[in-house]
Amino acid sequence: MSIDNTNQEISEALEVQAKQIAGLLDAHANRLSMRTLKQLENGRARAMKTHAAQLAGGSVNADGTLSQIGAWAAHHRMAMAGLALAMVIGSAVVLKSLNNNASSDALLLSAELPPEAFVDKGFESSLNVPNSRLQQKT
Amino acid sequence: MASSQELSNFLRDVERRAFKQTVYAVRDEHVALDIVQDAMLKLAEKYADKPVNEYPMLFQRILQNTMKDFWRRQKVRNLWTTLLSSFGAGQDGEEDHDPLDTIDVEDESSNPQVQLERSQTMKIIEKALEKLPARQREAFILRYWEDMDVAETAQMMGCSQGSVKTHCSRALHTMAALLEKQGLGSKVMANLVIES
Repeated sequence: MSIDNTNQEISEALEVQAKQIAGLLDAHANRLSMRTLKQLENGRARAMKTHAAQLAGGSVNADGTLSQIGAWAAHHRMAMAGLALAMVIGSAVVLKSLNNNASSDALLLSAELPPEAFVDKGFESSLNVPNSRLQQKT
Repeated sequence: MASSQELSNFLRDVERRAFKQTVYAVRDEHVALDIVQDAMLKLAEKYADKPVNEYPMLFQRILQNTMKDFWRRQKVRNLWTTLLSSFGAGQDGEEDHDPLDTIDVEDESSNPQVQLERSQTMKIIEKALEKLPARQREAFILRYWEDMDVAETAQMMGCSQGSVKTHCSRALHTMAALLEKQGLGSKVMANLVIES
C-alpha cells in the first residue's frame, strides 16, 4: 500500500476497500430508527405537496399552507431590502419638504412685503387687478 | 418535467443516504433531519420543471449548500453561545426520551453476535469518516458512496478534477490507516461485506 498521501494515484486495493466501505455504509443507512424514517417520510410528503402545487401553478409554504400576497416579507433578505427602500423613499420625502420650507422662508425674508400680506387671502387677487381699474376706483 | 411519482421515488431512494451523509458532516441527527427535509423541499420547489435524470446532481448540490448555510449560521451562533454559555449551563440532556428513537428497522441477521459485530464495525467506520477533513469526506462520499465519477464530483465540489483525486487519495489513505489501527484491514472488510 502506498504511503505517499499526496500521490493522486489511488491503488486498486484502496479503491476496492473504498467500495467495500461504501457498501457497508449503504447497508447501515437502511437500518435507521423508526422515528428518523417517519420524519424523513414527513419531509418527503411536504416536498411532494410543494411539487404538486408547483405543477398546478401555485406555491406552498414550508408548513404546507398556501403562499399569500406579502409572503415575501417572511424572507428576511427581502424584508430588509423592503425596509431599506422604504427608508430611502421616506428620507427623500422629508428632505424635499425641508428644502421647500427653506425656500419659502427665504422668499418671505427677502420679499419687500410684510409676512402678513402672504397670509391675507384677498391680497393675491388684489395684486392681479390691472393698474387702470385701481386708478378708476381711486 | 418529472412527475410526482418520479420525484417521490427519487426522494425515497436518496433520503436515507442523504441523512447519514449529513449526520457525518454535522454530527447531530436533529440538525441532519432538518437539513435533509429542507433540501427535499427546495428541490421540489425550485426544480419541479427539471427532468428526473438531473435530480441526483441537483439534490446533492442543494444538500451541500444547505449544509454550508448551516455552518455559516452555526459560526454566528457559536459566537453568542460562547458569550452566554455561563448563564445557561446544565440544561442539556433534559429532553424526554422517546422509545421510538431506539427502535431500529429490523436487522436481517437474527444472530446477536453478528449484529453486535456489525454495529461495532459501523461505529469504527463512522468515527473514521467523521475524523476526515470536510472536503476529503465530501469527496469520498460523492465519489464512492454516491458513485459519481471524478468529473461529476469535481463539478459538485466546485474544484478541479485533480483536486478531487487528491482529496480522494488522502481520504482513502487516512481511512485505511484508521481502520487498520482498529483491526479492520482490507481482508476483514472483505469478509464483512460478504456477511452483510
